[in-house]
Amino acid sequence: MKLRIMVADDHEVVRRGLVALLQAHEGWEVCGEAADGREAVEKAKQLKPDVVVLDVGMPNLNGLAATRQLSEQDPRCKVIVLTITDSDQVIREALDAGARGFVLKSDAARDLVAAVEALQRNRMFFTPRVNDMVLAGFLDKEHGGARDSAPRLPQLTPREREVIQLLAEGKSSKEVATVLNLSTKTAETHRSNIMRKLGLHSIRDLVLYAIKNNIIQVQLSNQTPRPEQESVPSGS
Amino acid sequence: MEVAQAQQAIYIQGFRALNTFMAVRILIVDDHPVVRHGLKVLLGEHPGWEVIGEASDGVEAVDKAVTLDPDVIVLDVTMPRMNGLEACRRILQKDPNCEILVITQYDSQQMMREALACGARGYIVKSNAARDLLAAVEAVSQHRSFMH
Repeated sequence: MKLRIMVADDHEVVRRGLVALLQAHEGWEVCGEAADGREAVEKAKQLKPDVVVLDVGMPNLNGLAATRQLSEQDPRCKVIVLTITDSDQVIREALDAGARGFVLKSDAARDLVAAVEALQRNRMFFTPRVNDMVLAGFLDKEHGGARDSAPRLPQLTPREREVIQLLAEGKSSKEVATVLNLSTKTAETHRSNIMRKLGLHSIRDLVLYAIKNNIIQVQLSNQTPRPEQESVPSGS
Repeated sequence: MEVAQAQQAIYIQGFRALNTFMAVRILIVDDHPVVRHGLKVLLGEHPGWEVIGEASDGVEAVDKAVTLDPDVIVLDVTMPRMNGLEACRRILQKDPNCEILVITQYDSQQMMREALACGARGYIVKSNAARDLLAAVEAVSQHRSFMH
């Protein structure tokens, strides 16, 4: 029986590339595609894929929040997170959300097939940096957590994570309520709880927080690249 | 009169068909292999077009433009070693007949103006590439501008 894979990325050209890469592997089929995290969660409910390849920076519901929902929805479903950065925080959140694989977008052509193969054999797949972090975390536990000095983010509920992303993307409480099928009052309560937990005082603070913590990603639009310049994060 | 009109219609249809299948040799330049792969898949959907090469930065693009002599280059802007705008200038200095379609993440009038100033014939934004790419390559391959 073929391994059924779903691909979620908001850039169709990247999705096409990923799909072509995965379809070329014997015994694998891409059973569905999604353009944001919310669509990925909905489609996974119907399609029941074995593996979901999820971009982190997607609108509506980002890849980390979608990973969390997918893992809760179907614990058999294995998620590979595709990301433009392997910062400590993104790694920590991806692992915490239940991702079994972690691949940098810039290395996807090289690593993605290996990652899916690893998950097919019930193993995990991480970049060398993630491996180092996982090992360091293990050693910390062995030594009573003395070296775990990295700051942790205040605990937001999965619903609050969804709300903060939508607010940071410019939606009003009413629009958030519509997207999440809540009453406006409930959306407003989530909003106040988020502001209180994070110590934020304005929507501007909230947007800055969301950018800083990779909840949303910003596309640069008015900068001219220097003649010699590396790709900026949105990378695709 | 009717015969003449019928002849004209047949001529137009034939010209369109010929145009559809006109061979276009394309070089793809982007530093991300997955994006190159996706662009190749999209371009492969058009009959008669051939992706003759790929490059992952501006320096490689200039070299391959000289050796492969493509009709159209689909050129990313932000790349290591040499960015797409600089590569565009250098390629057109060596081969003014080559047509360049800039494809970028920057949805910016300023960037579009700079690409045009460098000699690019077309400019599309990556997030719309799946929608615009084929129409844009078709336009620039016929020496028409395509800006979105």
